Amino acid sequence: MVDPAIFEHLQTKINEDSAVREELRSKTQELEKQGRTTQSILSRAHSIPVAQIQATVSDAEKSIFAQVSTIGEISGVASNQPYYKYNSMWTKHMQDTVFSIILCGWLGGFKHVREESQALLTIENVGEILKGKTPDRDAFHLTIEEYLHAMISLIEELARLAVNSVTLGDYHRPLEISQFVKDLHAGFQILNLKNDSLRRRSDSIKYNVKKVEDVVYDLSLRNLILTTKSENQS
Amino acid sequence: MPEAKRRRLDSAVEQNTMEPVSAPSPFLPTFESFRNELDEHHDRRERIVKASHDITALSKKIVRALQAPLPAAVAKEIEPRTKTINELFTNVAPDLRGIDAWRYQRQISGGIQEFIEAISFRHYLQTQRLITMDEAQAEIPGGVELTADDYLLGLFDLVGELMRFAVTNMATTGALPRGSPEEVDGGGQGRDILTDLRYIRTHFEALDTSSSGVPGSFSGLKKDAGKKMGVMKTCVEKVEKAVYEMIVRGRERPKGWMPGGTEDRAGIPREVVESF
Repeated sequence: MVDPAIFEHLQTKINEDSAVREELRSKTQELEKQGRTTQSILSRAHSIPVAQIQATVSDAEKSIFAQVSTIGEISGVASNQPYYKYNSMWTKHMQDTVFSIILCGWLGGFKHVREESQALLTIENVGEILKGKTPDRDAFHLTIEEYLHAMISLIEELARLAVNSVTLGDYHRPLEISQFVKDLHAGFQILNLKNDSLRRRSDSIKYNVKKVEDVVYDLSLRNLILTTKSENQS
Repeated sequence: MPEAKRRRLDSAVEQNTMEPVSAPSPFLPTFESFRNELDEHHDRRERIVKASHDITALSKKIVRALQAPLPAAVAKEIEPRTKTINELFTNVAPDLRGIDAWRYQRQISGGIQEFIEAISFRHYLQTQRLITMDEAQAEIPGGVELTADDYLLGLFDLVGELMRFAVTNMATTGALPRGSPEEVDGGGQGRDILTDLRYIRTHFEALDTSSSGVPGSFSGLKKDAGKKMGVMKTCVEKVEKAVYEMIVRGRERPKGWMPGGTEDRAGIPREVVESF
């Protein structure tokens, strides 16, 4: 009644699946570890004046390139599989990596992929850094959702940086940040998000925008913002 | 309060520093393209969820019809439903092509499992054989991919249906459903449904799913299979118990008497089966 091949076949499938997961698991753990290193380098930005940030940015770039090579290895394994089958194993780490990349870019890094005046690395810039593929192929790539998650993390981080810039005596940077996060917020507002993790996290954007506005308010109330023509820098 | 503060902030900004912010965000074009892609994604997702629900509902109806005793009527009933399911699969197939097959796997998975339960049950009733994965794949039109996980989980549910079928049959005819008499196994008797159930159970138990799935993360098969394994074993034991009672009390048992005695006619396995 039962063809034994049925169950042999199922077992083979299960074992293949496990082997792929095992391989991906060890690589994503490596990526996670490297990601923590990058984050700790980037968090120095909160206590370093803009003028001296370049060394930190270079360190961060180096650490990110180590992550990129791990992502290359994950990509090597994942490209042989349907993309979304294992996507959930690395998507969180991918978000964190992209966050590090765009934060580093905002701080002045990755000059080779962007215009001098460009504050936010586009998804294409990030793709170039990751050496990723275009999203149409059923292979490893960066998804829009991952990029948007990274942007939300960037907004959170910049809200903190606005406060800390003031502590460092930098009263100009909060203005740049304020304009930047408002522009990003405007972008998020035109998205039709469904009730998913992106939606829940994007709810935090308005609070972070307000946090930055409050810093700007405190500064302007006390006439700490110089009336210069620099407001369009960002 | 935040409103009041913001208003004050705006005026402060106007007076002290810069012109009011009126230029549109430079990121809008980027976000517009993201919006379009995400909208398409959500639409696809909803279409697939809808198709999956409809396929589930229709498959359940097919299963119920197959449990009924009149073959001609059954065929008449399941034919249009099968046709509708085929259309549903065909319509949703473009949303499940290429990269999207796995992107929306979790959305379509429920419908496919239920459908596998229905066709494997029909297949068993017609041939007394377990449908193979290739045969099952061939029944799904439009090129929608059948994953090994969905196939396996569908078969788990099949055991519940076979249990219900066996018990109902014993209650109404006083005998266990049996394969054709020329098929003879070791004991010199015709193979019956309990032999088959035990055989399936043995194979399920031998299957090692412990390595699948990610610890601490979503882990499809290990969790689902674990849950269904328990239900499946209970189902087989129910048939064993019913056969035991039939043999022990068989002589005095009038036709139409139900095993267990206390349950009423309609109530025996129905709710147990409907719940998975």
